[in-house]
Amino acid sequence: MNDYLLVAAGVLAGPVIGGLVSGADRIITARVQARVGPPLFQPFYDVAKLLGKEAVVVNVWQAFCAYAYLAASVLAVVLFFLQSDLLLIFFTQAVGALFLVGGALTSTSPFSQIGAHRELLQILTYEPLLVFVIIGIYLETHSFKISDILRWPEPLLLKLPFLFVVLGYALTIKLRKSPFDLSTCHHAHQELVKGLLTDYSGPFLALVEIAHWFDVVFLLCLCALFWATNWVGMAILLVVTYLLEIVIDNVTARMTWRWMLGYVWAMGLTLSLVNLIWLYAAR
Amino acid sequence: MVNELTTILVLLPFVSAVLIYLIRVGAIRSLIVLVTGSALIVCSLLLIPYAPFTWSPHTLLGVPLHGVVQVADFALLLIILYFGYKHRNLVIQLLSVLQIITMVYLEFFVVKGPISTDIFYCDNLSLIMVLVASIVGSLICFQAIPYMKNHEHHLHLEKSKQPQFFFVMILFLGAMNGVVLANDMTFFYFFFELTTLCSFLLIGHDATEIATKNAVRALWMNSLGGAAFAIAIVFIYYDLGHLDMQQVIRTGPVAGLYVLPVALLVFSAFTKSAQFPFQSWLLGAMVAPTPVSALLHSSTMVKVGVYFVLRLAPAIQLSFLSQTLAVFGAFSFLAAAALAIGQSNGKKVLAYSTISNLGLIFACAGINTPEAITAGILLIMFHAVVKALLFLCVGTIEQNIDSRDIEDMRGVYAKMPVTALITVMGVIMMIMPPFGVLLSKWMAIEAAARNIYAIIMIGLGGALTVMYWARWAGTLMSDPFAGRFKAETQPVLTWFVLLGLCVGGGVMSVAIPWLYVLLVVPALGGAYVPPFTVREGILESSFGSFPVVPLCIVAAIGFLVSIWAVRRAAKARIVSPYLSGAQTSEVGTFRGPMNQPVKAWARNYYLNSIFGEERLTTWVNLGAGVLLTLMMGGVL
Repeated sequence: MNDYLLVAAGVLAGPVIGGLVSGADRIITARVQARVGPPLFQPFYDVAKLLGKEAVVVNVWQAFCAYAYLAASVLAVVLFFLQSDLLLIFFTQAVGALFLVGGALTSTSPFSQIGAHRELLQILTYEPLLVFVIIGIYLETHSFKISDILRWPEPLLLKLPFLFVVLGYALTIKLRKSPFDLSTCHHAHQELVKGLLTDYSGPFLALVEIAHWFDVVFLLCLCALFWATNWVGMAILLVVTYLLEIVIDNVTARMTWRWMLGYVWAMGLTLSLVNLIWLYAAR
Repeated sequence: MVNELTTILVLLPFVSAVLIYLIRVGAIRSLIVLVTGSALIVCSLLLIPYAPFTWSPHTLLGVPLHGVVQVADFALLLIILYFGYKHRNLVIQLLSVLQIITMVYLEFFVVKGPISTDIFYCDNLSLIMVLVASIVGSLICFQAIPYMKNHEHHLHLEKSKQPQFFFVMILFLGAMNGVVLANDMTFFYFFFELTTLCSFLLIGHDATEIATKNAVRALWMNSLGGAAFAIAIVFIYYDLGHLDMQQVIRTGPVAGLYVLPVALLVFSAFTKSAQFPFQSWLLGAMVAPTPVSALLHSSTMVKVGVYFVLRLAPAIQLSFLSQTLAVFGAFSFLAAAALAIGQSNGKKVLAYSTISNLGLIFACAGINTPEAITAGILLIMFHAVVKALLFLCVGTIEQNIDSRDIEDMRGVYAKMPVTALITVMGVIMMIMPPFGVLLSKWMAIEAAARNIYAIIMIGLGGALTVMYWARWAGTLMSDPFAGRFKAETQPVLTWFVLLGLCVGGGVMSVAIPWLYVLLVVPALGGAYVPPFTVREGILESSFGSFPVVPLCIVAAIGFLVSIWAVRRAAKARIVSPYLSGAQTSEVGTFRGPMNQPVKAWARNYYLNSIFGEERLTTWVNLGAGVLLTLMMGGVL
């Protein structure tokens, strides 16, 4: 019975928390830029409006990819709530990310194509970092299972500070924040139009948006593991982290994929290595 | 029963091969291939309940078996020497002469009395290899029937070379079963060399200049492995006084001297499995007809190396050799994945991916924990099925579009939708849960987590792997037209094999919990404690869990819903891809200067400035050379 509740919680958490975070993000970003910004529920209005539009595709397999992306992202969050294996959850969300790219690749528009390839480069950049974070968590808690990780008596952040920074890089890329919003971003005035998402439209774009909310929830859950010993600490960590993301988004400019790959891998690898060696030495 | 089954599995292919060579009628040849393949499939399945068993036949049709193999072995080495002369390759000549001298020395001057107690030994590890070789191998041979017909039609040959081709292909199946069942190391060596010769003949089959050149390269590199093996068994005989593989492994490294031959054996496995710096022979082997690449160069022969090292793994637990093996394998996994990114040639991507996966299996053997060994064994099985499928798909596509370049496969879905979808399915089975390859990778990463060098390289390599596969799958589906679906026509055998492998890979993935219990746990033998418990289709270890069956069910539901979405989308309005509002009525073009239509296009990113062969190969070979030196030097 408990499991069913957890599944339901996971399925609900995505749209509710993800949408609200997205709404809050837009308000805070607007305030930083001396604008008023949209209402908190604007993301929900947007998605509702998209869902009501006529279905238009450039290739029928786009529909497959949009649904598969959503399915994988929901599954990742549900597995997280069921306290399953962290590495498995990582692979599950990767499935979603790949279907999103696949949908863009089915279009022949150069905007979609180049957007998709940039997204693949972003995936290439953050994937190893997330693996190292998960490995670090394992080395500290001796388990990949979230049920065991939650039972760990002290906050992971104390032993994995550098890996939390590494997670921050991955988070910035996954949230499509500057300086890493190469493949697509919230604003449609970039050189690739909407890049990866150019040829998704109407209800399918809505599905992609909802799936992205689930991804945001997954990432926040991953951050939350770093202070899982009490709710206050967890909330502070999450709020501070997300505010920092918004600041970074606002003070940086978009960079190139070359820079992203070189810089993030260099920084991410160094920080991961330092932290992992520390954990090995401590064992 | 066991004796008869083993005899059929090893000897039937030899008999059939001779028949194929002698009876040069197409229909009869196809029939022999089909019957032999079916017999091998049935016999390998019947063998399952009997493992583990040993069998020591002393005579073959009244002639002492050991003598037969001895004679055949020297004949084989002389044939290789002959090819060395024919192609004026000094290295092959030297290496085969060296092997002849070594074997003469061993057989006539050193050996006294019987060499081993058991000639054949079959535990579940051998059994898994027999199943792979017999089932996947036979299916590939089936597909080769229509493929080679097309191939020769395309080449406008006056005289068919199919008798030679199928002679070697079928003979190879026997050699493959022989090598994995052999327990006497001289027998192992004979079959090992036989697979080398088969590989040489098949790579050079088309007899073009490049095919001959690449075949010769494959021969000398593999001869290097053969020579290392021959020298190693002389050392082992000196140390232990027998060449019984099981006893050798059980003895473990007692004396310092004994570690050297084991390192030599690992070295010969590296050449067989085309690890860096010997990868060039496998890449060159891609000039062969695609069934050859599928059979020898991805699903079976190159697996002999990793199989052998997995078998040796208990003997080297906790040793320096094992540790360097883990790092070497992980390095190979990473480097081959990086090189694959720079390739637009489909078969070369498959070749690099094979090297990469074999590297991961070596890493698993080196990490040498129960989880790692389990991951390695599962990866052997799943990689064989899925990679064979992908090779055959590329072969089928190539025969239709006359190119193996990924860029030319853009929108192949429009021309041959079923093959394109099967290929995409193959790619999905390579990189996504809940399928077997990914499950093995999950297991390998969890097992490698305590080895910092290995895990860093495996983490990076895994991300690179995803990139080159996803790019390819998307390219196949990249097509502006939509809505219509008209299956292409292909020979029945092609459909049977492609669908068989595709469905087989899926079914095996669902069945992993049972495969684990029935096949893998016994394969771990007494050396390793079974690391996972199985409950309600969930694999669970002390530090991780993979809900195989529940995940498969959820994935199946997600798949069906998505397919339903496709069917609905077929009724939706279909528009042309976005071209800034300047598109013309012709799809994919926009109004350019002077109102002329301009074709809009984008190529895939191959990132040659970072991952190009010219850029990386030297450094990768250097790195592998250093690691190899470390490994060989460390045991002295």
